[in-house]
Amino acid sequence: MFKKTIIESTGKSPWLFHINAGSCNGCDIEIVSVLTPRYDAERVGFKLVGSPRHADIAVVSGPVTKQSLPRVLRTLEQIPEPRCIVTCGSCPQSGNVFRDSYSVCGPLGKYVHVDVDIAGCSPKPEAIMDGLLLAAQILAEKKKTGNQEATLPNPYAPVKAAEDEKSEEKGDE
Amino acid sequence: MDFPFVKQAISQLFSKPSCDMYPFVPSEAAPNYRGRIAYDPDKCIGCGMCVRVCAGKAITLKREPVDGGENITLTFDLGSCTFCNTCADFCNDHAITLTSDYHMIATKEEDLIVTGTHFKEKKKPAPKPAAAKPAVPVKTTPEAQSAEKAPAAQTAAPAEKSTEATPASEAVPAAPVVQPRDDGKPVNDPAKCIYCTICAKKCPQEAIIVDRKAKTWELNADDCVCCGTCQSVCPKDAIVM
Repeated sequence: MFKKTIIESTGKSPWLFHINAGSCNGCDIEIVSVLTPRYDAERVGFKLVGSPRHADIAVVSGPVTKQSLPRVLRTLEQIPEPRCIVTCGSCPQSGNVFRDSYSVCGPLGKYVHVDVDIAGCSPKPEAIMDGLLLAAQILAEKKKTGNQEATLPNPYAPVKAAEDEKSEEKGDE
Repeated sequence: MDFPFVKQAISQLFSKPSCDMYPFVPSEAAPNYRGRIAYDPDKCIGCGMCVRVCAGKAITLKREPVDGGENITLTFDLGSCTFCNTCADFCNDHAITLTSDYHMIATKEEDLIVTGTHFKEKKKPAPKPAAAKPAVPVKTTPEAQSAEKAPAAQTAAPAEKSTEATPASEAVPAAPVVQPRDDGKPVNDPAKCIYCTICAKKCPQEAIIVDRKAKTWELNADDCVCCGTCQSVCPKDAIVM
């Protein structure tokens, strides 16, 4: 009976779980600042929770160190489906300056399907907000379609040259 | 009964929220914010200095030989970038800039790739005599050329300087002892050079070979891309371009 309502409202109140996979703490501080009254992610429905079992979106920061890898994977498995995995900062995507280190097993994409990458070192709180909002939309899409690999067009993708020209023409008009 | 907080509570109820309404109100990055990389392939000379200084190994340079030159492709992976601005700082031709665009969100890897290709014409080594350039009229060109050809001879350098000293002092005292080449590539002044090898270490193309013991300075002109790094790092200003 309420199934439709639940599906529709999923994207409006996703719960976050933050995993530090050996991060330098820069991204963690920015994630916390997103939740402070200045940026206040709770106003758009995000809520930081203490257990992965309550979460919809996992935010991973850090280059995924050897020590943290089994714990990260175990934590991510505990998040009930449909779930979204968001990487925060350059480290989980590539290893960044820790790349090729003996203690780094990243990038995270080798082990799990990552839905949204937020680049930056560390990203601006606004950028994290952008990423989380996109992740929330993807989460709603997953719930709707039941497809765990579902994705949405990225509104922040770099504009192609042809589209650039189009927008210029529009601007002229 | 006294409720001291009622006034405060009511005024707060009708005041504006103190948070940034970001997704609904666009927000500008602070001045000098280092965000998405903008690369101008037309300015790039393909020296590869940015690749060398990048801590996150975010930059890759690819050379594809084509007719009459080569295509140089520089690819920046923002997913591996620290946004430290070092590549832009080291770029002699200001081809790299970090813009204030912070919306770097990706669902695919391609969303975070900044790339650009430029065609570089292969220059034929021009064997023009240095005399064609009337930069310093007093200069005795054969001597300057001989200094270019054999910059190694430290013993020859003082002798050359002594012969040079008389005509040079008449015109401009600060005139360089060697003349710059026509093709814009560096020339070493053996009178000033201390063979510290800094230019050889800093050369992104490894086109300079310096031997400290033998006191030789050689330039592999085919590899040189005229980036000017050797000139700027030389502690004795011995390199003329």
